[in-house]
Amino acid sequence: MAERPEDLNLPNAVITRIIKEALPDGVNISKEARSAISRAASVFVLYATSCANNFAMKGKRKTLNAGDVLSAMEEMEFQRFVAPLKESLEVYRREQKGKKEARKDKDKKADSEEQDKSREEDNDDDDERMEEEEQNEEEEVDN
Amino acid sequence: PGGARLARLPLARVKALVKADPDVTLASQEAVFVLARATELFVETIAKDAYMYAQQGKRKTLQRKDLDNAIEAIDEFAFLE
Repeated sequence: MAERPEDLNLPNAVITRIIKEALPDGVNISKEARSAISRAASVFVLYATSCANNFAMKGKRKTLNAGDVLSAMEEMEFQRFVAPLKESLEVYRREQKGKKEARKDKDKKADSEEQDKSREEDNDDDDERMEEEEQNEEEEVDN
Repeated sequence: PGGARLARLPLARVKALVKADPDVTLASQEAVFVLARATELFVETIAKDAYMYAQQGKRKTLQRKDLDNAIEAIDEFAFLE
């Protein structure tokens, strides 16, 4: 599938929003300035990718990873990006983990809902016995 | 918190740029995410740096020449020349 030129550009609306939020209220950006920044951003990605890929190759890896990108930032003299990027990565990892577990739980829930019904009836008996058994370390595990 | 926000740039577009490099075999999802975030930080940085020139010119509109001035003056932006 051939890549259309616009595919290598970043969305204008998003770029504009980022610029506006970085600048004080009431400041405008000319269309030419916005385009120039957008092009610069694309070049940044390409350059950072190439840099990061060198680190991956040095490590004899075929897959570019997050660490390679962070190393690239240092190489490109954007060290001050590294700390906020690491923070963002932590949040991203937690989110991804959360999503994974939500999917696993969804599947589990479907199964366990059937088991819960039978367990409810047994609980009353257990409460009475528990007081006696507290002294005993040995407990039978009842699954 | 400025550092910990998730990416606004669509990861698919960033990934398209990464894939444009013939030397790149594969990139992890995390790598694409970090690249997207880094690009956002870059956009913020260059916009702010360019804005200083607009301020010097007593303007409230960022113009192309402000960008050019920032790129010429700042070492980190040399790769854009």
